Amino acid sequence: MHNESPVILDPTDERAPMGRQPAARPARLEGALGIIDIAKARGDVFCDEVERLVRERLPSLEVIRLRKPTYTKPAPDDLREEVGARCRAVIQALAD
Amino acid sequence: MSDLPAAGAEAPAFSLTDRRGGTLAFDGDGDAPGATLLFFFKHDCATCELTAPLVERLHRTLGPHGLRVAGVSQGPDADTAGFVDRHGLSFDVALDADLTVSADYGFDAVPALVLAGGTRRVRRSFEGFAKQDLRALIGEAAAACGVAAPEIVRDDDGLPDHRPGCGSKIHDPEVARRLAVRRGAATLGARRVRIPVDDDPFEFMASQGLGDGLPVVPPTEDRVLRMLEGTTRAASDVVARVPPNLAPATVEKVAINAVMAGCRPEYLPVVIAAAEAACTDTFNLHGVLATTYFATPVIVVNGPIRQRIGLNCGGNVFGQGFRANATIGRALQLLVRNVGGGRPGEVDMSTLGQPGKFTCCIGEHEELSAWEPLHVERGFPAGASTVTVFAGEGPRAIRDQLSRTARSLGASMGWCMETVAHPRLHRMGEVLLVVSPEHAKTFARDGYTKADLRARIQEATARPLRELLPDDECQKGMVPGALPPELLGPDGRPTPEALDTPLPKFRRDDDIVIVVAGGTAGKFSAVVGGWASGAAGSTAVTREIKG
Repeated sequence: MHNESPVILDPTDERAPMGRQPAARPARLEGALGIIDIAKARGDVFCDEVERLVRERLPSLEVIRLRKPTYTKPAPDDLREEVGARCRAVIQALAD
Repeated sequence: MSDLPAAGAEAPAFSLTDRRGGTLAFDGDGDAPGATLLFFFKHDCATCELTAPLVERLHRTLGPHGLRVAGVSQGPDADTAGFVDRHGLSFDVALDADLTVSADYGFDAVPALVLAGGTRRVRRSFEGFAKQDLRALIGEAAAACGVAAPEIVRDDDGLPDHRPGCGSKIHDPEVARRLAVRRGAATLGARRVRIPVDDDPFEFMASQGLGDGLPVVPPTEDRVLRMLEGTTRAASDVVARVPPNLAPATVEKVAINAVMAGCRPEYLPVVIAAAEAACTDTFNLHGVLATTYFATPVIVVNGPIRQRIGLNCGGNVFGQGFRANATIGRALQLLVRNVGGGRPGEVDMSTLGQPGKFTCCIGEHEELSAWEPLHVERGFPAGASTVTVFAGEGPRAIRDQLSRTARSLGASMGWCMETVAHPRLHRMGEVLLVVSPEHAKTFARDGYTKADLRARIQEATARPLRELLPDDECQKGMVPGALPPELLGPDGRPTPEALDTPLPKFRRDDDIVIVVAGGTAGKFSAVVGGWASGAAGSTAVTREIKG
């Protein structure tokens, strides 16, 4: 080890990790709530049940159902934009 | 070849520490009204010994008339002092301790003499000893000082007409490498990380989370520069954007991670091609990484590069003991981790993982296959070298020591492949079938093509849909969404007729990717199960390996 140079080259992308904090939780639910099905098996069953419960308990809320084309890839840009434009809060549901 | 600046050229400026601790600078038209003579020497060079007294006489004769003489020694201080004392040198002598000035002057041999006038314009230069050159230089120096040329060399002084010099120290292998690092390091763009002096570099790197759990080789400047000699591509070229962060991986970043993985420079083009292939949308590295399943890039190398870099295609092909295989696969994994940000427990959410996530790289044993190799099948010339990346799990055994016909062996393979993911899951996507040389011989003997083998596997695995549906015995089975629409009725469930439809294990014959690899003894082959296949998953990608 004494022959090693004390200087090495950074093997990373050198981008300081971005602290991705989730947005603050809204104090109460109002406006539009998105429910995103990530397209895993039986995700629709789970999301249906979530929607039923939401409508039962918060009848004034507008519910928007959204679905990723596939669970294997990140959400496409247009879906992300839609979520940002239309939803005040979202529930993203897993399945299996 | 010598690059000593010739008459008319501008001599490089420099500033060195002289033997008294002062500064010996040659940085402009200088303080010499006449000219400056630089005398580069080594203390242990016989030709320098011959030349030094003549340079001293020139200094004594023309110094008062405006000639400045400066000696530059390539040796250490104590040896230089001996040389100076031996010859009674009275001109300034500096130490070119790191040999950068010698490198800038580019001579091959010492002594090297450079006579320069105003603005460092060279009037005459030569290396080694040549009486005629020295006489001409003396004449130039005297003319620059406005005096007649002194008689320092004579025809009858007993000195030889010519004597070759000794090699400049810049050509000593260790020095040459160090100088190359100094030059090349300036071209490297990566952030420098200084390891605290008391830290073990291996422990330091592990503590920074830069490895895969095994020690990594510290990527020092000289190691990275040597690695970059393995490619003709510029260090700043962007090879790919690496998921999940889609961060740009330059050739330099690939080289840094290849050093860490333990690669030799000649492996670098393979790592670059593997990174290009893995970072395509078709391969979908993001999904391969993020899945809770076992998938990871399995690299298959084809073509003549296998022999050039000693990539194992034979016995223990998936195993340990072969540097090229071990480090190429590892370099790709480190690149994904370090540049892409794909770390276990973060984006890499695999439930169980698998040992291939450290490294997985095999060569196809083309020489023992009667079939065309994978890269030719995928449209590349036989003489090309390629990498194919396949999102696979670990290899599992196909054991058949009894089959003597291709038809029988094909059935064995199909039945073993039935277990991929789950025996009831049919219409699967891509799978990698690694046929051992002994099994390949059996197929060759019966004239079985790859297409024949694929068809036989499909035939042997085909089962009526009713046997593949979930039931009371086992709740796992094919769900309607995985079935072709023509098998479903209006209620979305399989029609009564569909229940008798035989479904082979794989969606298409071509989803069975076949290579020959492994040692010559053993009637064992292997199947490497895939992951979600097709547009929504990952499809194998082949890229040519270029310089």
